[in-house]
Amino acid sequence: MSTIQILFFFLTALALFSAIMVLVSKNPVHSVLWLIVVFFAISGHYVLLNAQFLAIVNLIVYAGAIMVLFLFVIMLMNLNSEAEPRKHIWMKMAGVISGGCFLMVLVSLVRQATDMQQRTALMGSGNVGLIKNLGKALFSDYVVPFEISSVLFLSAMVGAIVIGKK
Amino acid sequence: MTLLAIDWGLLIEKLVLIAVVVFGSLGIALYTTFAERKVAAVLQDRPGPNRAGPFGLLQPFADGLKLIMKEEIIPNTSNRVLFILGPGLAMTAALMTCAVIPWSSHVEMFGRKIELQIADINIGILYIFGVVSMGVYGIMIGGWASNNKFSLMAALRGASQAISYELAMGLSLIAVLMLSGSLSLKTIVEEQMAQGGLWNIAYQPLGFLIFFVCALAECNRTPFDLPEAENELNFGYHQEYSSMKLGFYLFAEYVNMIMSSAVMACLFFGGYDVPFLDESTLAPNIAAIIGVAALLTKIVIFIFVFMWIRWTIPRFRYDQLMNLGWKTMIPLALVNMLITGAAILWKAGV
Amino acid sequence: MNAIIFSALAGVVMMYSGIITSKKTVIKYIAAIALVVLIAANLLQVYGIWQISVDTRDMLSFEKFGLVFNTLAFTATLIYVLLSGKEIENAGVNVAEYFALIFFVLCGVSILSSFNGLLMMFLGIEILTIPLYILTASDKRNLRSNEASLKYFLMGSFSTGIMLMGIALVYGATGSFALHTNAPVALSATGGIKASFLEVAGMILMFVSMAFKVSAAPFHFWTPDVYDGAPGVFTSFMATVVKAAGFIAFIRLFEGHTAILGPTWKILLAFVIVATLLIGNVTAVFQQSVKRMLSYSSIAQAGFMLFALYSSNDMAKEGLLLYSVAYSLATIGIFAVLIKLKDYAFDDFNGLGKTHPALAFATTVCLLSLAGIPLTGGFFAKYYMLASMVKEGGPLWLLIVAVLFAAVSVYYYFRVIQAMYFKEGTPSVQTEITSGFKAGMVLLAILIILLGIAPSLVLNLFYF
Repeated sequence: MSTIQILFFFLTALALFSAIMVLVSKNPVHSVLWLIVVFFAISGHYVLLNAQFLAIVNLIVYAGAIMVLFLFVIMLMNLNSEAEPRKHIWMKMAGVISGGCFLMVLVSLVRQATDMQQRTALMGSGNVGLIKNLGKALFSDYVVPFEISSVLFLSAMVGAIVIGKK
Repeated sequence: MTLLAIDWGLLIEKLVLIAVVVFGSLGIALYTTFAERKVAAVLQDRPGPNRAGPFGLLQPFADGLKLIMKEEIIPNTSNRVLFILGPGLAMTAALMTCAVIPWSSHVEMFGRKIELQIADINIGILYIFGVVSMGVYGIMIGGWASNNKFSLMAALRGASQAISYELAMGLSLIAVLMLSGSLSLKTIVEEQMAQGGLWNIAYQPLGFLIFFVCALAECNRTPFDLPEAENELNFGYHQEYSSMKLGFYLFAEYVNMIMSSAVMACLFFGGYDVPFLDESTLAPNIAAIIGVAALLTKIVIFIFVFMWIRWTIPRFRYDQLMNLGWKTMIPLALVNMLITGAAILWKAGV
Repeated sequence: MNAIIFSALAGVVMMYSGIITSKKTVIKYIAAIALVVLIAANLLQVYGIWQISVDTRDMLSFEKFGLVFNTLAFTATLIYVLLSGKEIENAGVNVAEYFALIFFVLCGVSILSSFNGLLMMFLGIEILTIPLYILTASDKRNLRSNEASLKYFLMGSFSTGIMLMGIALVYGATGSFALHTNAPVALSATGGIKASFLEVAGMILMFVSMAFKVSAAPFHFWTPDVYDGAPGVFTSFMATVVKAAGFIAFIRLFEGHTAILGPTWKILLAFVIVATLLIGNVTAVFQQSVKRMLSYSSIAQAGFMLFALYSSNDMAKEGLLLYSVAYSLATIGIFAVLIKLKDYAFDDFNGLGKTHPALAFATTVCLLSLAGIPLTGGFFAKYYMLASMVKEGGPLWLLIVAVLFAAVSVYYYFRVIQAMYFKEGTPSVQTEITSGFKAGMVLLAILIILLGIAPSLVLNLFYF
């Protein structure tokens, strides 16, 4: 096993374990903190793919900003394990069954996707994810969606002000 | 020296560098606490600490010893794991910044060319940004885990303050990046060092001002030390902490100060550049030593300014702080960005 | 491109109009003028006279179908603004911003009618829905409005997440966001389809998400609460223009892809259609509030619109245009009357036939159109849907089920008519009813009847 492989498996295990902990944790604050660990593991994957910009932006935006706001809200509302509504056993069963079905579909999908087996990810090489190439793609090929997304952000901003203003 | 496909020489080199930088930073931070008390004393016309050692020079060790020897109290109702995690996170986040700071050019030793930078990644500034945004968690987790309303309020204040000022900080940085065309701190410094190149402060005075104010806010220094406002919040987010865990929080603040000074020096004041001196004519090792000295001098000057501000300017009120951040800093940074872009366009002759 | 650019610009203009004037009526008229300009700009492109051409690298393709839909959607919005403008003015303090958000929604609509890639589709859907979350919450003092908005937002972002997962899988399988660049579908030796499994799973996830957006059962649970909780004016907009745009996006997305999904696709779709019709119609029967009844009826109508997806031939596209117009006009009309009343209960309509005969007449026409009674627009809309399904060789039982549920729907629509004409009482009209409003309603009713007599009015737009 090469270093990259070892790192890959470590990060994957970490991501999966933390993701499960997000769901299992009784305390919402713990869930948020585990989610941050997930983001770190995903960012690690990005670095392995040589997409450094994505990796760090993932951390800055998700772990650094959005999750802080999450923590904010959870701390202010003082949510804890007692505040969690008790769900009916049938609801839980339904969730487990539908989730299980979906998992089965996805697993069988990965097993049967023979056309994907020949393809491998570019690990540690390839420079598509570097900021220079990303910038070029964003301002040439993807300039229309880039500009149009400004409408999206504008409407979100208008919304924030409409809701936030007294 | 390659074994198991790993260049052990590089590994050892980097480990030594990390150790030197981390312990160096901690050492400087140690004496910064001392400097703070001395500066405060000078500004308030009193002698300051002068008992431990000559001129009180051993005072920081005495302080450290005191913190370590004190009884460790973890409140019963606190969240134990997070309570311990908080100061650790604060300290880690503070120290991690040093990884991308170019302390000087390279030295040649044992036939190897050793770069005096732990990692020259091509997203250097963004990395710093990411780490800084992680620093909030130290405060928030510590404040929440204490299970004390004052701690929680202070932590929330600290976090909202940090997020608000991060925005303006990032926007002011964009103007610098537009000039340099690179995110790597090393490249930015080298561009300022090049013959005929001026320090970025000459092009970006407004950008620097914004960055400096935001750095003050990020480090929770006066006039932005709202999280520790003792008249409103007793002692702030580390109210329940004692012993070395408290020490870590206090210490992290000083490490943060050093790191933000170093970043400011690199971005706006030529990093390890000595003005009016052509480093390329000197032997590399000598140039490196001069470079480190130059960078440290700049850092010390910045730290002094930090302290000077602390002991002269009163604290903001919370709404003033938010108004300044959102209604002054961010628009100013946007204007700065616009002007820089226009100037670059004009210079390019389009 | 005209529609996208002009609607975004109009949104910005509306934002500034709030600074220039504080008179709400002036803002309303600015919005109406902006809408007229928008329609004109779009028509210029429809007839190829003038357009802003942008190299979109094949991410948007402006076909007649989408452009005609734009025209219809903008016209419906104009009618909506003229009829219910008074209530938008009274919905809250930030009137200029509400209009701005409506224009941003229209920008999303025009993206959804012309996207040619998953990336643009995603952007379009987000631009469409994010303003809606805010419009839902615009009645800030009202807890129900807040709850509706939060519910809508949480569920909506969850379904967006599912859609993103689907897009990611499709992208992983094909390496491109484009809709129609996929290699021709090859049949494998066993007769199954040799598409990448990732792509199939991706399409199914996108189906789930789109079904959520158009509130098809079993993904409809948000609809009654959100439509009921949101201020009535905005429910009217959400249930009409936005819903129709969702269907346009739905059909554009799946048009070229149904072959990949194989024969199972039709079974899946038939199940969704039947479930939607069943839940929408049967639950609507038991509602005590007209507003809530209308939200269930909108689920039921979605079931009919899904037939366009089932057949996805040219006739279905025509039918979908017709359906969007007929359904939108009728729903806008009913809501315009409904929000003038105090509560949204059936009893509020009592005696409306005596006190306001013109309004009662117009409402009746709208209700008949929704029920699909001949001589109204709704009849041909439903007819086209079912005929296209039969043309495509759809099963007979599906047809019978659809007709049966259309019959069920007559019951709850007639409850309102019965209240208006056959029950004694005074309708609790809250706001003053101007003669302009009455005239508008009657014109709307005439328009609906016109559509019912000559549906080619709309369909000719498609061809000429």
